[in-house]
Order: sequence, then C-alpha cells, then structure tokens
Amino acid sequence: MYFLNLSLFQFLAIFGSISAVSVALYLLDRSRRRQVVSTLRFWVSAEHPSVVARRRRIQQPWSLVLQLISMALLLLAIAQLRFGAPEAAGRDHILLLETSAWMGARSGNRTLMDIARDRARQYLRALPARDRVMLVRADALATPVTAFEPDRRKLEAAIDTAAPGSAALNLQEVLGFARRLQQQGGRHAGEIAFIGAGRTAELDPTVELPRNLRFIAVPDAIENAGLRKIGMRRSNDDADLWEVYVSARNYGTRPRTVNIALDYGPPGDQGRVPAASRRVTLQPGADSEQTFELRTRAAVVLGVTLTPHDAFAADDHAMLEVPAQPLLPVTVYSEQPELLKPLLAATSRVVAVYKKPSEYVSNEKGLVVLDRFAPPQRPQTDSLWIDPPAGASPIPVRTTVQQVPFSRWNTADPIAAGLRTKEYKLDQASVFETAPGDIQIGAVEAGPVIVARPDKPRIVVFGFHPALSGMRYELATPLLFANLLRWYAPELFRRSELSGGSVGAVKLALDQPAAASDVRVLREDGTPLPFVLRDRAIHFFSGTPGVVRVLAGDREYVNSLSLPEVGETKWQPPVEVRRGIPRALPLVPAAGEIWPWLALAGAAGLLAEWLLFGRFRRGRQGPRRPVRIRTAEREAVRR
Amino acid sequence: MAAEPLLDRDFLERLERLTIHWQKSFAGLVGGHNASRFAGPGQEFLDHRNFHHGDDLRAVNWRAYLRLEKLFLKMFQVEPRVPVRMLVDLSASMTAHGGVKFDYARKLAAALCYVGLVRLDSIEIHGLTNRLSQRILSTGGRHRIPSVMDALAALEPGGRTDYLAVVREFISMYSQRGVVIILSDFLDDAGCEKALQYLADFGHELMLLQLWAEEDRTPPWLGELDLRDAETGAALKVDFDEEARMRYTRAFDEYADSLQRLALRSGGRYAGISTTQPLESVIFGDLIKMRGIA
Repeated sequence: MYFLNLSLFQFLAIFGSISAVSVALYLLDRSRRRQVVSTLRFWVSAEHPSVVARRRRIQQPWSLVLQLISMALLLLAIAQLRFGAPEAAGRDHILLLETSAWMGARSGNRTLMDIARDRARQYLRALPARDRVMLVRADALATPVTAFEPDRRKLEAAIDTAAPGSAALNLQEVLGFARRLQQQGGRHAGEIAFIGAGRTAELDPTVELPRNLRFIAVPDAIENAGLRKIGMRRSNDDADLWEVYVSARNYGTRPRTVNIALDYGPPGDQGRVPAASRRVTLQPGADSEQTFELRTRAAVVLGVTLTPHDAFAADDHAMLEVPAQPLLPVTVYSEQPELLKPLLAATSRVVAVYKKPSEYVSNEKGLVVLDRFAPPQRPQTDSLWIDPPAGASPIPVRTTVQQVPFSRWNTADPIAAGLRTKEYKLDQASVFETAPGDIQIGAVEAGPVIVARPDKPRIVVFGFHPALSGMRYELATPLLFANLLRWYAPELFRRSELSGGSVGAVKLALDQPAAASDVRVLREDGTPLPFVLRDRAIHFFSGTPGVVRVLAGDREYVNSLSLPEVGETKWQPPVEVRRGIPRALPLVPAAGEIWPWLALAGAAGLLAEWLLFGRFRRGRQGPRRPVRIRTAEREAVRR
Repeated sequence: MAAEPLLDRDFLERLERLTIHWQKSFAGLVGGHNASRFAGPGQEFLDHRNFHHGDDLRAVNWRAYLRLEKLFLKMFQVEPRVPVRMLVDLSASMTAHGGVKFDYARKLAAALCYVGLVRLDSIEIHGLTNRLSQRILSTGGRHRIPSVMDALAALEPGGRTDYLAVVREFISMYSQRGVVIILSDFLDDAGCEKALQYLADFGHELMLLQLWAEEDRTPPWLGELDLRDAETGAALKVDFDEEARMRYTRAFDEYADSLQRLALRSGGRYAGISTTQPLESVIFGDLIKMRGIA
C-alpha cells in the first residue's frame, strides 16, 4: 500500500494538522452551544452557575470522530492511496516528437516526419497500458500537445496532427523543458523519449543530459544544399540600383555544384523575368556568398532559386518584396522658375513641375512652392512660401528690414542642422511674428526671417528670396533645401534594407546607434513584436514565416522570414543514452482507482455529521423538541 | 390569500356565555361584580346572543323562538361600565423560543376581547415594552372582533421591557381606575414587582396572566452553553447539568409565586400559563378558577 501523490510523512503531517485544528475548533467553538433565552435572571440566580472560562472537554465526541474519519478519507483520496507495490504503478513518460523544418525532407517516397510518426506509434505500443504519456512537439521551442494521457487513441490522434514547422531543432531547450515537466509531475517519472533526426544547433557539452533519455533516431542520410540568407540594399551611388547578397550552404557530405538564379516580377509564377544566374560549387559543410545587382525603381517581388532541387526542397527557393522608390511631387508657382530649378534638381527623388502663378490650383499633391506669390486660396498640402507679399504671408510680417546681415541659424532643429554661413547681407527681408510652436530656422538681429510651422499641412516661409540675395553663393542653400525636403517627406530619404532569412531567433545589426524608444519591430499586419536592443543589434523571435519590419530612425529593415531553419550539426547521443524502441512489456493490470470511493465516503461522512450534529439540526430541533425532565425531578421543583 | 384568523368561529361561539369579572368597587362605578349587567325588564335593549345551558330563561326572546324555533337571549345595557384595559407584552423576550409566547398572548388577548365585546364592554389594548405603544380599541359588539383580531395579528414585537416606565405612563394616561389585564412573561431584568405594586396601590385591579414557554421554565439544553439575553443581548457562559436545571426551575417557580402573592395581596388575580396548554383549557379552566371570567 502506498500513496501516489504524497509521501507517508506528508500524509501524516497534513492529517495531524487537520486533526489538531478540528479538535481545537471543537474545544473553542463547537462544544459550546449558543442559545438565545428570554432572560438571564434565573440562570444567574440559579445556585452556583458554572461560568466556563475555557473548554475542558469535548461535548460531542462522536461528531469529532466522524469528522476526523471523513477528513482522513478525503485526505487519502487526495493522496491517491494505492494497494500493492509502488513499482507496479504506472509511470509518466514524455514523448518529444521532432517537428523541425528538417523533418519535411524526403527519404524515398516518405518524409522524415512520416517515419517519426511511425516510430512514435511503435513506442506507444511498447509502453504498459497503465503508463501515461505527454506528447511534446520539439523544434525551436517545446510545445506540449497533450497532458499526461493514458488514452492511447488520443495520443495517436495527436501524433497524426504533428507536422514539420519552419524552425530548427533546439535540442538543449527541449530536453530541459521535458526534465522540468517530469520534476513537477506527481507520479513516478518514466522516460524522456526523443524521436527525430537530431539535426540541431551545437549542444553545450557541459549540460548534463537526462538519465532517463531514450533516443529513437529517424535516419536522414540526405544530401542537401539550400539557401541560408538573402540581403538587399540600395546602392550608395545609385538610388535605382539594388545590391543583392545570396548565401547558400551545403549541408551534405559531398561537394555540390548548384545554379543560383534571380528573377523578378509580380507575385506568383506568371510574368516573371530572369535577372541573373550563377553556377557555384558548394563544399561540404561550407557556405558560399554571391553578390548580384538589380536595377529597378518599381515595386517587384524578387525570387532566388537554387537548382537542381534535392530531397529538402523547402530551402531551395526564397522571395523578397522590393518596395517602390518613393518620389515627392513638387509644384512650383513662379515667374522665374530658373532660379529654383538647380535647388530642386539636386535631389533625384523629387519630381518638380513648374507653373505660372496664373495657373494656380489649391488642390495640388505633394509640395507646393510659391515664389513671391500669394494665392487667393492657400494650398491644401505642404507649402514653401518664398518672400510672400507682406499682407498675404501665412505667418504675419512684423517688419521689413534692408541691408541687414544674416546673423544665425537654429542648428538645434533638424531643418537647420549642419548649416553654417559666412557673414552676408540681405538686401531686403521680412521679419516674421512667430506663434507658439513655430520653429525659427534663420534670423537677423530684428527677428526670424525663415520660419517653419509644423502643423498639418506644414508651412515654411522665407522672408527673402534665397536665389536673389547673398545666400545664393552659400553652400548652405542646397543643404537647407535638402533638409527642408527631408522635413516635409522623411520617408523619401528612408534607407531600406531587405533580407530574407529563416524563422526563429533573428539578430539584426543596426547601421547606426538607435534608442530603444526609436525602434519599432512590426509584423506583417502591423502588430508589434517584442525585441531586445543590445550592442547596436536588435534581437527578436518569430516562430512563423512572414515579413517582419524593423524601423530604426531613418532606416527600415524588412526581414522576409520564409526560408526554413536547418540545424547545422547532427547530434550524436552519448553511449549511455538508451536507443531504439523498447521491447514491449507484458501487460500488468493496473491497480484500481479507489480515490473516488474514498472521496465519496469522506463526503458522505461529513454530510452525516452535519445532519446528525450540525447547527442545522440544533437550529431545527432544539426549541421544537425540548428535553423533558423526568417526572420525579419535575415534581421536586414544582411549587 | 388572507391570513388565518387568530381564533376560529367555533371557539368564539363557546366564549359567548362568558364575561370578564372584577372584584373591586370602583368609585362612581358599578362595583363588586357585574351581575347588574343583566338587569331585569325595563333596561335598554342591546343585542341578542345564542342561548346556552344555564342562561336565565326570563331573558329568552320567545317571539324569536316562535318564528325561528331557536333560543335567543336578549341583552340589556347597564351604564356606567368599569374600564377594562389590557397590556400585551411586545418585548423581545416574548419572541424567544420561536415566538410561541407572543402567539399565545395574542390569541388569549383576542379571546378576552371577544368575551368583552359580547358583553359590549370596551377594552383598550396597549402594547407593552419600555412604553405604551400600538393602542387598539375593542368596542362596539361582537361583529367588531375581526378588526380587533386583525389589529392584534399586526402587532410588531421587539424592544426591551421597562415596567416602571410603563406603569408611570399608564397612570398618567388613565386617571380612572379599572381592571388592568397584563399578558406578559414578566421577565424584566430590573424586576416588575415594584411597578405592579405601584399600579395596584393606585387603585387598579390587576389580572396578571404570566405566559411562559416550556424552555423558559425547564431549559432542555445540557452542557456548556453560550446564552444570550433576547432583550438586552447580554451573554452568559454556563455549564448546565441536571442539578443546575432543577435549581433553575425552582428559581423560576419562586418568581411566579412572588407574582401571584403580589396579585392576591393587592386584590387582583394571577394565572401562570404554559404555552403548551390548550387555549380552551386556560380560558374555561384557569381563568374561571381564578374568577377572572365567569
């Protein structure tokens, strides 16, 4: 006889505590009967009323005995009392079924996953019927699929639903999880059975493996070469040119010559145009990086294909979405457009259209430049006003000054960041009256002459014409316009970097430092993804294929996580680890579960105690059925 | 659904031949007894009632008998009458042990009221706690008994008893002496003997009807008890055994004796009534024996 859930010491300790509390409650409360009476005068005046200071004896010993027996029965039910030897009881096994991406590889006409499922079923059949098994999916994470389950049909149904994922196996994490699960279980721990190919990241040799580990190998003598990573970034010299990096690896044991081909076009197989192709020889266990160039301004889908295909085709093809080159439409209303053309032509992402002031319409898109011209109706979009008439300026003109030196730039603001000019004079300039929130960009002694208003739509007003003053000879002039364009349309200058990789843990090195508050990591649907910023690198985890977008300052990193992750090494278990399917044990009938009967008996005992001795009975029967004193006594006290 | 009346019709019919009795002579009023209520011919006719065995044949309405073949007795009014007042204890002690004392007191009060109504007596009923409360006037003949029973049924018990305060209030309210019927358990911690003596000394004739539940006289519980006074909430913890129970009952009986002595000494009447006794046996037994009614 033994307890399944508690040791004998624990059982005795708990029962002793419960018994002590029960007896104390009886002494303190239960044995004292509360009664409301009409008066206390006869109780007090009765000779020698015994005022009880504390309880000395239990008034209802049978009630206490019944309660203690009931509690003991309930405690025995909780402890799961079993008859027989503990060794005959069932054990709890954990079945780790590998569902890494590698399990999708084909071996003959079956996948490794099919073989692993067969092995798992064989393992279940070899276990005694009383044993319970928990099925855990093992890839980068350990995910329990069932609880400790004695029902083999439920377990087999769960095994049938197991499918290869996209991540690589993290065997160390999975084994640690299984060990913790078994330590928390109340029953006798059985085996931790791992069924899979065992292709994983490098194991830490100092970590001790579970002693009850069983390794059931799935043979995977498969030659595989596949894409590991793809990267794209715009060329520093040419905004329309994309530099494409492709990394491939030979996971097999023999050298392989493969063809890496690039094509682009709309999503899908139709209408795609070959872009480049290269033949590469991959050495066993080695990586090869190739660089390609792709010139496009439009949004396309870039496809990278590695041929000939092998038994694991999932890592032979990857696709990247290439965003379109953003352009800023600028409409210039000026009688002298040649003054502004050099400034706007310096930025290739600006498409400028020059019109006469008489052609003005207020609903232009993009940016509107008004050169010494006040329209009858303000533009509905962002606008740049150059030396507007004093009475029609969007920012009120305080005064007009002549022949004054330009005194300072507000270099603390991004619009004037990095601007520096020698002393020059302005022939004539309007000094503006700024409102709270306005940004003073440049100023003379009398006040600001270049002011930005960051409200929507954004407005910048020059109190002088930069091309008709001493400023046209200054290097700061094109820089100021570049800063203005960046302020108006920051997405125009955002640098994009695209990469294609595998799901799982991703580490992204940033080109420049960024604060965590400036970094956002977003899934395809725009929901944020948790990340850690450490040593100028962002770490995040994505367990499912998809696009993850990282925004850090003016940089955008697009991670297309579509490649399966494949472990680089194949784990070889130590010799002491048990291997293979165990021999089927003779079926021993499991001991009957008696805890429900114990629980029922305990509950019935408590109910009986309540009915026989509880306040329910005292409250109902006390006043209705008074105890009559014997006739002789009655006569003795009657008048 | 209407509430069940305190007394049923059959019982009320049996009460019709009774009358409330008093012994004292009150200044300016008919005294000594109430036989003069049945004065001979020539008195003012009041009402008919059913003939019962023992009634005076001279008062039978023979004309009615010839028409209906049923004996009716004619009743005549005698003025003035002795004021009859009834105090019904409404304190919380009456509700202890399931409220049997309070229910019994209401039924007994209703029966006495009916006896008075049949005789066209006016009875003023007051609730008794630490003051006089919830006045009910029982007058106008037997047909008023339903409203009186309804009013008695609507009495709300609760509070503490203070006989001294109640007697002071009573004397200040009623200067005319009369019969005072008190239905109570007389369990006032401060004692009610002095107050009752004061009331008797003032000239009222007392009829003390002491009600007790069986638990009041013979507590059925044994062992360690945590007692709580129903009125004051005071607590007492005792170890109660058979011997203590005998002492308790003896003390209770001594108290009842003291009440009886007080009533008899002052020319009044006393009856100790257990709620286990049938109401009929109390009315036709104890109350007649003590000459409270006849």
